[in-house]
Amino acid sequence: MYIKQISIFLPNKKGHLEKVTKLFLKHDIDIRAIVAFDTTEYGILRTIVDDPDKALKVLNEEGFVAKISKVIVVEPEDRTGSLHELFEILAKNDFNVEYTYSFVMEQDLMPYFVLKINEQEKATKVLCENGIKVINKKEILSN
Amino acid sequence: MNKCKIWSENEKLDREQYRAIQLKRLKETVTRVYENVPYYRQKLKDHGVEPGDIKSLEDIKKIPFTVKDDFRENYPFGLFAVPHKQIVRFHASSGTTGKPTVVAYTKKDMETWKELIARIVTMVGVTDEDIAQISFGYGLFTGAFGLHQGLEHIGASVIPMSSGNTKRQIMIMKDFGSTTLISTPSYALHMAEVAKEMGIDPKKELKLKYGLFGGEGSTEAMRCELEEAWGILATENYGMSELMGPGISGECQALKGMHISEDHFIAEIIDPDTGEVLGEGEAGELVITTITKEALPVLRYRTGDITSLNYDKCECGRTTVRMDKIQGRSDDMLILGGVNVFPSQIEEVLLNSEGIGPHYQIKVYKQGYLDKIEVDVELADADVLESFQRLESLNQNIRDRLRNILGIDAIVNLVEPRTLARFEGKAKRVIDMRGEK
Repeated sequence: MYIKQISIFLPNKKGHLEKVTKLFLKHDIDIRAIVAFDTTEYGILRTIVDDPDKALKVLNEEGFVAKISKVIVVEPEDRTGSLHELFEILAKNDFNVEYTYSFVMEQDLMPYFVLKINEQEKATKVLCENGIKVINKKEILSN
Repeated sequence: MNKCKIWSENEKLDREQYRAIQLKRLKETVTRVYENVPYYRQKLKDHGVEPGDIKSLEDIKKIPFTVKDDFRENYPFGLFAVPHKQIVRFHASSGTTGKPTVVAYTKKDMETWKELIARIVTMVGVTDEDIAQISFGYGLFTGAFGLHQGLEHIGASVIPMSSGNTKRQIMIMKDFGSTTLISTPSYALHMAEVAKEMGIDPKKELKLKYGLFGGEGSTEAMRCELEEAWGILATENYGMSELMGPGISGECQALKGMHISEDHFIAEIIDPDTGEVLGEGEAGELVITTITKEALPVLRYRTGDITSLNYDKCECGRTTVRMDKIQGRSDDMLILGGVNVFPSQIEEVLLNSEGIGPHYQIKVYKQGYLDKIEVDVELADADVLESFQRLESLNQNIRDRLRNILGIDAIVNLVEPRTLARFEGKAKRVIDMRGEK
């Protein structure tokens, strides 16, 4: 049910993102999603790739501080209000969303939403029960 | 100039009189520590010295040096020479590692301290007519309380302001009509800037006449800046907790060196590498022996401060030996806004912090007139990447520990592993850019 996301420690210096993308390119790792928020001195780059275990290995070899964490990915329906419903369910059930971001897998399809929630397992169950489509590994990691 | 009075007759004795007093008091001090401080007794025995061996002032060379680590080894009370019952005050300063250096005073020591401060404030020109604003931090640090007691002793009106909250400092200074400022030189420069930002012209709207600066070294250039910014006589004084606190020496209005109270201290200059005693005028490490202290007598303390001595009679009329401005340190101690910090202390805090690697780099620089310190450390624990909050709290935790244990506000930079310099020989982990313009 969970998707392996890689978190990478990244000082806010010119060219640091490029170091990561270059490394992935060199090892033929396909980036599905990537996100970094504005911070002052350093931040955390989060990315979803086709082969997270390999990505972690090469990152560690290059001296990056990186970690695999498991996130939930959902696909809301393509209509107004569907995102509101998603967050309403989470709020009503007292979950805390630590961070969220979206990415597109294929054109013309609704973007996927990555959710990091304080109680992942419980949240997944609640989301499924409420008819939210939770994406599994296969849908993202293999074309 | 030269109009202001000399507080004590003991500031204008002739050389032979000083030597006689020093020899008598040195003998008494050596005997007292030999009898009352087991650590000193052992140390003297190890060097084959007995109190009876001190027959002339030159025999002081037979006595082994005391260093800061001796305080650490005897933490907290091992060097005290009196029973606890006689101690009326404790103070502390930073040690070389986690534990502070603890010092203590008997009632008579407190009287001595007041007397020493009375001398240094009087030689600047401060009298019972003056209003003295003390902008040193009160607390375990000796600076604030030391000056406080001595200024009250001469009858000056004391404002125990403490440090920080600069706008309020300026307001009080203006409203109370402070005539004398006691602070570190860098804080005084910062205050002057804040006063200008507040639209106050220090020269016209404030009554400040004298500045007594200490807690950190300063240069002639800083004196000029201070005098220009405030329109005052900017003087420097010198002290050290281990030896008493402030009051060991201070500048008179001639501004030609700091007068050491020689009836209470014996000053020597040594070659920091060989320990050999150097002659008058030669620059080296200042070594001080206390000869009147009761609670914590200290024999030949290596201050780590580089200076030189001048025995000529001063134009102010005092005959006490004068020490030059501190030219530097013989060790790696940093002085940050008056707080003494050894890189070893920072290292200890870092090594005991979770989630980071053992390498670090310290950068010290000036922001405006204030000292800033940045510490770069390598992030090691990937688990904190789970949330930015955890990453931030790792950083906050290190900052808190540096503040709580060492009293310094550091900026902590987390960097990637293997990016800080590695050293094979002697590590150069501190970059001090404060001297650069």
